[in-house]
Amino acid sequence: MIVQGITGRVGSVQTRLMLNYGTKIVAGVTPGKGGQTVEGIPVYNTVREALREHPADSSISFVPATSAKDAAFEAINAGLKLLVIITEHIPVHDTMKIKAMAERYGVTVLGPNTPGIISPGKTKLGIMPGNLYTPGEVGIVARSATLSYEIAGNLTEAGIGQTTCLGIGGDMVTGVTFVDILKMFEADQDTKAIVIVGEIGRTVEEEAAEFIKKHVSKPVVAYIGGRHAPLGKRMGHAGAIIERGRGTAETKITALHEAGVKVIECPMEIVSAIRNMLKREST
Amino acid sequence: MRLFEFEAKAFFSSNGIPVPRGEVVETPNEARDVAKSLQKPVMLKAQVLAGMRGKAGGVKLARNPVEAEEFSKQLLGTEICGCKVRKLLVEEYLDVDRELYLSVTIDSSKGKPVVIASPEGGIEIEEIALKSPEKLIQTYVDVFTGLEPVVAREIVKKMGFTGDLLLKISQTLWALYKVFEKYDAVIAEINPLVITKNQEVSAAGAVLNLDDDALYRHPEVAVNPEERIEDPVELKAWKLGIPYVRLDGDIGTIGSGAGLAIATVDLVKHFGGRAANFLDTGGRITQEHIENALEIVTMNPNVRAILINMYGGINPIVEGARGIVKFIRERKLQIPVVVKVRGNFEDEAWKILEEAGVDVIKATQTELAAQRIVQLTQAGETH
Repeated sequence: MIVQGITGRVGSVQTRLMLNYGTKIVAGVTPGKGGQTVEGIPVYNTVREALREHPADSSISFVPATSAKDAAFEAINAGLKLLVIITEHIPVHDTMKIKAMAERYGVTVLGPNTPGIISPGKTKLGIMPGNLYTPGEVGIVARSATLSYEIAGNLTEAGIGQTTCLGIGGDMVTGVTFVDILKMFEADQDTKAIVIVGEIGRTVEEEAAEFIKKHVSKPVVAYIGGRHAPLGKRMGHAGAIIERGRGTAETKITALHEAGVKVIECPMEIVSAIRNMLKREST
Repeated sequence: MRLFEFEAKAFFSSNGIPVPRGEVVETPNEARDVAKSLQKPVMLKAQVLAGMRGKAGGVKLARNPVEAEEFSKQLLGTEICGCKVRKLLVEEYLDVDRELYLSVTIDSSKGKPVVIASPEGGIEIEEIALKSPEKLIQTYVDVFTGLEPVVAREIVKKMGFTGDLLLKISQTLWALYKVFEKYDAVIAEINPLVITKNQEVSAAGAVLNLDDDALYRHPEVAVNPEERIEDPVELKAWKLGIPYVRLDGDIGTIGSGAGLAIATVDLVKHFGGRAANFLDTGGRITQEHIENALEIVTMNPNVRAILINMYGGINPIVEGARGIVKFIRERKLQIPVVVKVRGNFEDEAWKILEEAGVDVIKATQTELAAQRIVQLTQAGETH
């Protein structure tokens, strides 16, 4: 794995935290800083240069929003297959281009504005606090980073572990969406139950509900943030805005409920919901 | 960021979209002069950042300059849809033959630009979608190639046009896409696109919403937040780059991420309290950033308690904790403050807060923090 933007304040701290967690970081990239090292990891000027010395298939990017698109293009052109884009506030027209380019070359993009992905106890390509996670049988996919920490933390405290937890990103447009991840969880033998952490805005929860109806056999629990959000106001995430009546918590909750998803009202309820489901699965 | 209609029309016009002749004014005298120079009946349009302006009485027809002056007096300074009317757009009255709908926006699930066209315009797009969904023509556009002229013509042909109008309308649609692309728009909409009795086209209604995250590369756009944001607290927050939405309760809230901040507002309500605001620090926490956030929250005089909810993922919560303590000390803050904080370096953050006597929740559950702050607020009421 390569870290793009490794020499920045955030990039260097997060590199240390990922290394501590056991992530195999082979190189970092920051234009103009080639030859330096960060936490013992060699830094290169370009992704291609880094790959020449250290084979890798994925990158995590902390590159500032103004050059995030170029960094993503660079990674795609160099042949990487998974990009985790942590950066917030990337112009949405840039994100549309990243997404189009990634689709063209068969590259998977997590984010932008994602906490990344963690396989508890094994590795993490992300910024999530590792101490809130533990290995187990639950898969978590979220729009919000912090809210996914809360859900994972609740489960971990109750002794319920996770297979994989990831964020699709809080922006209006993101690389993969809930449906892509649901496919993977459905196919993954170790994942016994799935948690969706959604929020107001966009229509990815409604699409997830449609998909679950037809293609998901595993039990799914969902929490939707924003039951009490006002209309027409952007709630932090560029994606979290109820516009023209679309994307309210209510429409999402109804759609998920109709697809047989257990929708909880408070994040804490995740523990009893998952416990009941796992009990049912094992009997 | 939503532009005023007159601003949107200026960008439309300079990029080849025909708009009605007219000028923006701030006084009844100016309105009269513009009406006089246009030598036609005029429409007076209140410049407010709200939809449904027409239904709220924000648009008036004046048959002559005297009426233009008189009606301007009635409109200027009033409030329409909660926004103060500071400016009017005075435009020539168009002899309408037909009204169409054209827009370019972003499909957030596909992540692509989408052109939406309908041969029926002049009403809100939601109504068109309900009334005659079969007439909505949706076309996805490759973000790299943009809207090709031939595709624009195909769309307009589907709307039922031929000959000269086919060319005029498709040229307008093509130009609309260019505006969307050039200014990093989230929505570029013409509603209605008027076809006059002389078979000319004119963008009588214009909406242009730009991506806040791309404003840095558009120095040609005058941001003037004072004119756009009515609430003084929201204005201050905007200037500091902090996402903030004022709500009607008395418990100030701060979350270290949008989803967490949204859930914090929900949970305060769930336990019988009412949040005074939504505030998201994003992944930008520093000591100063938290102090700014607290400054904004406490600007709202209704705030009687504050709940801070932070995770140390990308955020340095130790700096956050220092900022909280500094703000409470320097401002001699008297209202209850509850801080729930977990994540990387949590021990150090807890220590800083506890040593300063701040009420700390060390659990993961936001529910516990919400319950606590609601209790403290209600206890305050009995004194």
